[in-house]
Amino acid sequence: MDLILLAELAVNGVLTGLLYSLFAIGLVLIYKASSVPNLSQGGLTMAGAYVVLALAHDMGLPLWVAIPLAAVVMFVFGMGIERVALRRLAGRPVVMILMMTLGIDIFLRGTTLAIWGGTSRSVDLGVSYEPLFVGDILVSRIHLLGAAVAILLFVVFVLFFRTRLGIRLRAIADDYMASWSVGISVERGVGLSWGLASIVAVSAGIIWGEIQGVDQSLSLLLLKGLTVAVLGGLDSIFGAVLAGIILGIIENVGSAYLDPFVGGGSRDLIMAAVLILTVMLRPHGLFGRTDIERV
Amino acid sequence: MTIFNRVIPAVLVAVLGLATQMAAAQDKKPIRFGLCFDLSKSYTFISPQVAQAAQDLAKYTNDNGGIAGNPVEVIVRDHGNEPQRGVECYEQLKREGVFLFNFLSTPVTNAVLPRAMKDGNIVLQSFVGRGDAVDGKVFDWIFPVGPTYWQQAANDVAFIKKKMGGNLGKAKIGFIYLDYPFGQEPIEILKTLSEKEGFELKLYPVPLPGSDQASAWTQIRRDKPDYVISWILAGGHVVASKEMKRNGFPIDRYLAVNWLNEVDINNIGAQAAKGILRGTNVAGGQQVPLVKTMLETFYAKGKGSGPESLVRDVYYNTGLAIYSVGIEAARLAIKKNGSPLTPESMKTGFESIKDFDANGLMAPVTVTPEDHGGGGKTRVEQWNGSTWVPLTDWSADYTDVVWKVIKESSSKFTVK
Repeated sequence: MDLILLAELAVNGVLTGLLYSLFAIGLVLIYKASSVPNLSQGGLTMAGAYVVLALAHDMGLPLWVAIPLAAVVMFVFGMGIERVALRRLAGRPVVMILMMTLGIDIFLRGTTLAIWGGTSRSVDLGVSYEPLFVGDILVSRIHLLGAAVAILLFVVFVLFFRTRLGIRLRAIADDYMASWSVGISVERGVGLSWGLASIVAVSAGIIWGEIQGVDQSLSLLLLKGLTVAVLGGLDSIFGAVLAGIILGIIENVGSAYLDPFVGGGSRDLIMAAVLILTVMLRPHGLFGRTDIERV
Repeated sequence: MTIFNRVIPAVLVAVLGLATQMAAAQDKKPIRFGLCFDLSKSYTFISPQVAQAAQDLAKYTNDNGGIAGNPVEVIVRDHGNEPQRGVECYEQLKREGVFLFNFLSTPVTNAVLPRAMKDGNIVLQSFVGRGDAVDGKVFDWIFPVGPTYWQQAANDVAFIKKKMGGNLGKAKIGFIYLDYPFGQEPIEILKTLSEKEGFELKLYPVPLPGSDQASAWTQIRRDKPDYVISWILAGGHVVASKEMKRNGFPIDRYLAVNWLNEVDINNIGAQAAKGILRGTNVAGGQQVPLVKTMLETFYAKGKGSGPESLVRDVYYNTGLAIYSVGIEAARLAIKKNGSPLTPESMKTGFESIKDFDANGLMAPVTVTPEDHGGGGKTRVEQWNGSTWVPLTDWSADYTDVVWKVIKESSSKFTVK
C-alpha cells in the first residue's frame, strides 16, 4: 500500500469533507429551530452565490464588499421566507413544511435560471492554484480556505449559542410550546435561523462556486450536505463538522481504492451507504439528540 | 355576344388564376423544423445557442428566397429534459404537420426514437442519443450527422498517436470521464484501441456533476499519463483546469470532448486555458464565413434572434452546422423530388448530401443510406489564448473498429 497516496487522499478528504460541513451547518441551524430538514438549502446556496456575482460582476462592486452585502441580502431573504411561506404553516404536519422547503428549492432554481441562465459563471477569490506541497502531500489552497471558513463558522455558532439570543434559539429547539408560554417569540427565532442559514449558504456558495463555477449544479450539494447532517445528528453543529470530515475521508479514500475494482461510481455508492446505514443503525446520528428517533 | 359569352371566359380566367395561385401557395408550404429542446434544465448550457442559430439560419434563408421559394419555419418548445414532455412535444408538433425533429437531449431522443421510426418522421440527432443510430440500414429515419462519441474518441487516439511519433506502444493515455452513460460511452472503443495499439489506458471516473475531481487528479499526477482525454461537461472543465494546475499536469496534454466552449474558457481564464485541446467537428470562432454573415446581416443591425453574446460561442456554430445540414438536405430533396417536401423526400435529400461543409463551418460530411453520420470526421483545435487554432485536418480514423462497435450495437435494435 502506498502510504503517501493514502495520506494525501485522507488529507484532501478531510478538507473536502469540511466543505460539506460548511453546507451542512445551514441545514442544522434550521433543524435546530424548527425540526425540519430544509430541502431548499441547496437552492439557497446557489442563490447566495448568484447574488454575490450579481453584486460583484454585474454591479461592479469589489468582492470584499459584495460578499458581506450578499450576506445581508440573503439574511433578509431567509427571514422573508420564514415570514411569507413558513409562518402560516405553524402547527401543520411536518411533511407539509418539508414540501414547502422543496417548493422553495424548485422556485429558487427556476428563478435563478430565468434571471442568470444556465451557463456556468466563475468566481475568482484570488486563491492561487499553484501546487502546494506539505511534505509529500499536495494540498488544495481553496479547499484549505473553505475548511478554515467552515471551522470559523463552527466557532462563531458555538459562541452564538451561548449568547442570550442563542439561548433563546436553543430553548425553541428544546420545546417550542414551552418557549411560547414563557414569552419567547418562536416565529422570530425560526426566522432568525433561516436568516443565519442563508448567511451560511452565501459562504458555502461562494467557496463551492470558486471550485466548480456557479450554476444550477450548486443546488445538488444538498445530497452531500444532507448526508453529513444526518450522520452528524441533525441538530448538532459539532456533529456536522465531524461527520463532514468522516464522510470526506471515507469517500475520498474508499473511492480511490474501490473504483478500479468496480469500474467507477463508488463515490456515490459510499455516500448512499453512509446515509442508509446511519438511518438504519443510528437514526439520531453521531451527536444528535436521541429523542429525534421518537419523532 | 351574349352575357354568357363574356362572363364565362372571365370566370374561367378567374378560376384558373385562383387555382394557379392555390397551387403555388401549396408549393410554397413552409418547411418546419420542430425543436423540442431542454430550455430549463440540464442542457441549458447549449440549447439556447443552438435554437438561436436555427432561428437565424431560417431567417437568413427566408430573406434569400427560402428553399426553392419555400419558407423555413423554426418551432421551439421546452421539454425540460423530461422524456414524457419530449414525447408530448413530438406528438403535438406531429399533429401540426411537422416531420423534422430535433430533441437535443439523449434521454428524450431515446424515448422518442421508436415512435419517430414507426411514424416515418425525421429526427436530427447530432451529438445526442444512441451512437449506433448512424447505421442508416437500421435507423432509417434518424440522422445523427456528425461524429459519434465512439468516433470522436478514436480520432483523439489517432491524434495522440501522431503526436507521439506514430507509435503508441509505450504510451499511457488517461481517460477522465463523468461516471454516467455520456462519459462511459467511449470506454469500450478506448479499450479496443488500447489492445490494438498497445498503449496503457488509465480510467479516472468522476461523479456527477463533475465538481469533485480531486482524487482523480491525485491519481493522474502519480500515474503521469502522456495525454488525458476528457469526457466532461461545462464547469467540469473549469474544475479540471484548476486541478491540472494544482497537480502540475500540463494543460496542453488535456484533450477535451467537443463540449468545451467559450464560456468554459472564460471561466478558466483566457490565458490560463492557453494550450488546452479540443476534438471537434465544427470550426470555432467568428471568422467562419457563415457566422460572420450572421453577425453582419443581423447582429450588426440589432436584428439577431437573441443576444449577440450567444453567437460568440462555439455551440452557436454547432447549431448552425446542424441546421445547415438540415437545410441542405431540404434543398436537395426539393431539387430531386420537387415540392411539397415529404419525410420520404427529405430522407432522400439527407442521403444525397456529399462533401458538404457549410462553407468551412464543419467537417465535410457525406451522408449515405448506410452511414447517416456523414463520415465522423473531426479535428483537434488548440486554444492559443484568444482563439481556437486547428492542429489537424478533418479526418476519421479507426473507422473499421468504430463501425464494428456500431454494427454490434445496432443489430440488437428492434422497433416494437
